[in-house]
Amino acid sequence: MLEVRDLSTSYGAVRALSDVTFTAATGEVTAVLGANGAGKTTLLRTITGLVRAQGGSATYDGRELTRTAPELMPGLGIAHVPEGRGVITELTVDENLRLGGLGRGGRVRSEDLERVYALFPALADRRSALAHVLSGGERQMLVLGRALMAEPTVLLLDEPSLGLAPRIVAQLFELVQSLVVDQGLTVLLVEQNARSALSIAHRGVVLSLGRVVVDERADVLAEDDQLRHAYLGF
Amino acid sequence: MQQFVNTVLGGLTIGMVYAAFALALVLIWRSTRIVNFAQAPMAMVTTFIALQIIEAGHSYWLAFAAALVAGLVLGAVVERVLIRPVEGKAEINAVILTLGLFIVLHALASVVFGNRYRSFPAAFGIRGLEVGDTTIALTGFDIFTILAVLAVMGLLVLLFRFTDLGLRMRAAAFNQEVARLLGVRVGRMLTLGWALASLVGSLAGLLIAGGSLVHPGYMDAVVVYGFVAAVLGGLDSPAGAVVGGLLLGLSLSLVSGYVGSQLVALAALAILMAVLLLRPQGLFSQARERRV
Repeated sequence: MLEVRDLSTSYGAVRALSDVTFTAATGEVTAVLGANGAGKTTLLRTITGLVRAQGGSATYDGRELTRTAPELMPGLGIAHVPEGRGVITELTVDENLRLGGLGRGGRVRSEDLERVYALFPALADRRSALAHVLSGGERQMLVLGRALMAEPTVLLLDEPSLGLAPRIVAQLFELVQSLVVDQGLTVLLVEQNARSALSIAHRGVVLSLGRVVVDERADVLAEDDQLRHAYLGF
Repeated sequence: MQQFVNTVLGGLTIGMVYAAFALALVLIWRSTRIVNFAQAPMAMVTTFIALQIIEAGHSYWLAFAAALVAGLVLGAVVERVLIRPVEGKAEINAVILTLGLFIVLHALASVVFGNRYRSFPAAFGIRGLEVGDTTIALTGFDIFTILAVLAVMGLLVLLFRFTDLGLRMRAAAFNQEVARLLGVRVGRMLTLGWALASLVGSLAGLLIAGGSLVHPGYMDAVVVYGFVAAVLGGLDSPAGAVVGGLLLGLSLSLVSGYVGSQLVALAALAILMAVLLLRPQGLFSQARERRV
């Protein structure tokens, strides 16, 4: 269980997160929704310590994360998957994946690589290609596969659907859902694409100007016309 | 014909040294976007350490190894003490610091080692090899120079291409934030990068010094040529640095042999200008678009 409590931070004088509190239950997808600039990406970055928290906490299995160095996250089973541009374009597909496997400490096992290639056959065809040449969808698969190489228990996904065709988004979300069902992963899914996100989420947290304005079961949120119109725009 | 062969051989040898020096600059540039102007005096200091050891009566090879280790340590210390505190600020801060270090090391070397010319021995003969009944301008030490630089480059390729550590180092160089999220200790990788660069620079310093005279400023011209070589190859590309070094060594040797040795510095400047005008990203850099 990932527990975020009264988390606050700011960029200079601009408050980016104000007392954000919610819980992401183990083995569930928690969607974090909201408009551009609502603080969704900042929330993930604050949880993993890329941005300094000015108050509050984020704990996973009793361990305080916001004051733990980002480079220790893989060791704690937490994979922060940045937006699609998080691929290291100067490295090959294979090297990107290996790098993910190193995060857990120890050597990269080839069966782990093959497991990820089996999940993403498109990547298997381009192992030794520079990530630079991949399409947007392939890059998103690569960052997701790279995160899985470290065998995380928590996935923090930052806008995985950004810039992707609807068909690719559907595939990607289906895959995330199967990971949750098969491996019991805990997923915090930051999305602007609320409709798609809620289709696989158990719970939806809506941020507005750095505050939690809705924290509701996903199916309830998707059905509630008022909430949808007010915050999600569909 | 003989003059041509000799000019080319001389160019290749000095080109290997420029290549090593350019490589030292590139290793630091591509991970931190800093041109380390102190590379030359850092190499000078480690060469003087070797000279002290030799003059104390120890073997050349002990001194050689000690200088390389000193280079490694010096690079790491400079990164930790000088560069780390200004990390994350504008790169110009660090560049100015390396210029300051340049001056400080110069001054310290003059005080500690003496501001005069001292001769530095060579490990191998510095007489030209005899081929048939003519002597060519390739000495035993030249061959050692070429082999030593090739060996170090080969080891670096092995490290960067085929080891987990090398993969971590490259990741840290290309994308610090993503590397951190994947568990890479970026700070350590940067320290190691500076240490390795400084080691390669020290090697260049030792090779230039061999069989010749050293004084606190003896490497200063090399930093210019090394920089031109690095720009020629594309500052981002280690392979480019090597090719750039060889090309520059050859060109300057040909200019020196056929036009006049007083024009060498001018020719280096002309090459730099031509590269910046015609192909500013260098010959080998994969010109990457930068997102704004």
